[in-house]
Amino acid sequence: MAIDLQAIERLATDQPSLKAAAGLAKPAKWSGIGASQDGALIWGECAGSGANPYRVMADLRDLGNKCTCPSRKFPCKHVLALLWLKAEAIMAFGAADTPDWVSDWLGRRRTGSAAARPAAAGAPAAAKDVRAALEVEPEAPEDPKAAARREAASAKRLEETERAILDALDALEQWIGDQLRLGLGAFIDDATARCRRIGARLVDGKAAMLAGRVDELPARLLALPSGDRARGAVVELGKLVLLARAFRAAPRDADIRRAVASAESREAVLGDPAALRLTATWEVLAEQVQTRRDGLVSQTTWLLNLGASGPRFAMLVDFFPASAGKRGSVFTPGDQFSGELVFYPGRTPLRALLLSRSPVESSAPDWPAPEPGLAETLSAPLLAEPWTIDVPILLPGGRVAVDATGRAWWRAAEGDTVLPVAGATEGLIRGTDLTRAAAIWSSGRLEILAAQTPWGRLGAHG
Amino acid sequence: MVEAIYDALGAALTRWTMGGAAAPVAPPAWATLIGDDPGEAELRLLALSGQFLGVLVTPAPLEGLQPLPDVPVLAMPALPEAQRPLARRILRTLRDTGSRRDLLRFLAARGWTLHPGDWMPAATDEDVPDVYAPWRDWAEGSAIVRPTTAEAPTEQNWDDYWPAARSAALTALRRRDPAAATALLAAKLAGESAEVRLRLLGLLATRLSDADRPFLESLAADRAPKVKALAAALLARLGHGAAVGEEAAELAGFFELQTKGLIRRTRTVAARPMKTPAQRSRRQALFEAVDLTGFARALDGTPEELIALWPWGEDRQADQALVGMAERSGSDALVAALHDLLLGQATVDVTAMLTLVPRLDAAQRSAFALRVLRAGGGTFQMALALTGGEGALDGLIDTTAGAALLGALKAEDAAKRADLNAELHSLGLIALRGAARDALDRLARAGLLAADPRLDMLRLNAALEDGEIR
Repeated sequence: MAIDLQAIERLATDQPSLKAAAGLAKPAKWSGIGASQDGALIWGECAGSGANPYRVMADLRDLGNKCTCPSRKFPCKHVLALLWLKAEAIMAFGAADTPDWVSDWLGRRRTGSAAARPAAAGAPAAAKDVRAALEVEPEAPEDPKAAARREAASAKRLEETERAILDALDALEQWIGDQLRLGLGAFIDDATARCRRIGARLVDGKAAMLAGRVDELPARLLALPSGDRARGAVVELGKLVLLARAFRAAPRDADIRRAVASAESREAVLGDPAALRLTATWEVLAEQVQTRRDGLVSQTTWLLNLGASGPRFAMLVDFFPASAGKRGSVFTPGDQFSGELVFYPGRTPLRALLLSRSPVESSAPDWPAPEPGLAETLSAPLLAEPWTIDVPILLPGGRVAVDATGRAWWRAAEGDTVLPVAGATEGLIRGTDLTRAAAIWSSGRLEILAAQTPWGRLGAHG
Repeated sequence: MVEAIYDALGAALTRWTMGGAAAPVAPPAWATLIGDDPGEAELRLLALSGQFLGVLVTPAPLEGLQPLPDVPVLAMPALPEAQRPLARRILRTLRDTGSRRDLLRFLAARGWTLHPGDWMPAATDEDVPDVYAPWRDWAEGSAIVRPTTAEAPTEQNWDDYWPAARSAALTALRRRDPAAATALLAAKLAGESAEVRLRLLGLLATRLSDADRPFLESLAADRAPKVKALAAALLARLGHGAAVGEEAAELAGFFELQTKGLIRRTRTVAARPMKTPAQRSRRQALFEAVDLTGFARALDGTPEELIALWPWGEDRQADQALVGMAERSGSDALVAALHDLLLGQATVDVTAMLTLVPRLDAAQRSAFALRVLRAGGGTFQMALALTGGEGALDGLIDTTAGAALLGALKAEDAAKRADLNAELHSLGLIALRGAARDALDRLARAGLLAADPRLDMLRLNAALEDGEIR
């Protein structure tokens, strides 16, 4: 099915959309381009501002389309760019099996009168111009004085932010002292309201990441068995004290700043020569989507490096407002791909951005062998950065067992290591050997993300 | 050192939990680290304690940590890897246990089971196919290892079986050796709960014969009314119904025998007009309580005469109630006659036939389903209700229902979208593999994209070869 640039012009909501699409209609921005066997559907993944790429899809019969980006424009620049790639044959859309995420969209979309309306009925074409969108505007020469002013203003802003954060950390420590004085028993009972209050104070003090962490603290406490909560509160509040002290000691440290204030922008990470870049074969272990108390939804994708070198795990994190509605998954657990990641700089690189992705050429390798010395593997990240909450870990052979109260434990096949398992484990994961398991060690418990078993690969929920 | 700190932390934790300063009871080893300033000392002690507890202390299990036994391998293989994603997607769309049961039956009829990583039954899922019995038993008693037995059930090994596996084994035994199954139930049934007695007694409906009569009659003294009623119904199927009782006479009072025609005078049963809803309700209750032989006798006839003289089509509620009575207490021969009669009617009474389904064999159900699909107004959902997900029907897209489906898809009425989805899903569950492929071709020609998730069940059907039963 053919499409021309005039149709794209008509479909665009305004000239800026067309201009932005022209910038994205370049092979380097895209991966996973494909078309259905009948040629009616096209799709691709476009690198956006987040850690995960956006999934873009269109139905060429009626130009119905969908993108996982949070833009309120419909269609967004990514859809227009995908159509542009097709119209101008900038990239080859090889016929392939339709991915599940495209089929899912196809099943949900309404192909009634509104969606099936021909593109000609959109906004008038005269207001937008594809040729104008392709014109390159010359860059204005930079005024050295203006640049110096900007740098000075930036330095001042940074200083003010640090001062505000330090004030907020003083308030946090004061608050922690109050909780100890009033009793952790009462704190646990009223944790949500109390954490909300100090969380708001931290937001005012520009310690946004720390505020989010404090807001989620009650949920982590309540997930523990009631007998473990007082101990859990000591651990959680102790980590906050350590993080506050670490920030006072090194406010410009990238890891610490990321844990307290905010993460660097995508551009900053890409432009940082110290940021580790790694091309490897990755397996998607799991995707965790969590609606937070601050109204944001966090989407975390855990990746396992199947190669021999580089960090064993990577974590792609995006945040978007819950009001933007449910967002499609970017990956399917169990997917394997070859991809280049750039890691946020830090002592233990973990959080990363996905730069490019392509299908695995040959048969993917097995899961790697876990590091020897399980106890050291669990504790090392907590010794390096004591405020760390989640430690991804690859477990050796073992099995889930239950105690007399029905609580689940992971027991190593060799040696006597026994670790508590978080949440309810149901079904097959309780009734088979786990020859390897990938898990998150958090709050003194394991959350199993995926496992290799005699029945094949097993996801966390079945 | 570590133990000493851990022991000392107990007191600090108690103070913090209750509210108060813990620095005075801090582990002595940390005294210099936490300093003398009271406020600062509390925070430092908290930081040290948190790190100590978070890194060095791991909860230990209570006594009796028990690894669970392996999930058993079933008699049929799990779906091939290539089909698992499609099956998972279908599973996600199924909203009730009935829909899931249809999918499981379809897979079992083709020789496959779901992969245990995608779905496993709960112990209470009684309507899943028997092939899943070992998984139900595993779910019920997964913490307790009990040897599984591959032998036929006997009085001696009765207690070696988990309930679902025993029920499945008894079903197989009843098909193979009905007398042995009756003898085993006669010996062991009394020791089971009423619910289990009722379920196991239901197995006797298969290959029921006069040889079962003494055992069924012995159940007249059972403690549970439902068990007694089922035993009586099974006896009635053998022609040993209860004598005409008050209830049968009362039900007969709602009808009368009439003579019609001036030259060829024929007898017929006619319903007396009812004046109040209470009367209608009472009549319905009596239909559900009385057995067919008793009702026929109360009208001075035999069950066969009653069926022949019945004024079919004049009172649908009474028709369906009579069919329900026949399903429960009619003999096999009578049920066969009733099936032929319903199949021969000008207007198909699907509800009545659905009532009869538990007593019909697969061929009878398929024949009736095709009849429904070829008649105007029949749907694939009706055919699914009649046959279950057995994937055994051919030529489906060429039926009247198939033409109606293709027409509706072309019209694509948003209001009927859910209904169309259900039709396509049902079609995928009842079609033979070849019929599923034909349907996919025709639907593609009608404009449906191959990737349309509404075609998932048809695609799974078309892709799935027969599995190998272990």
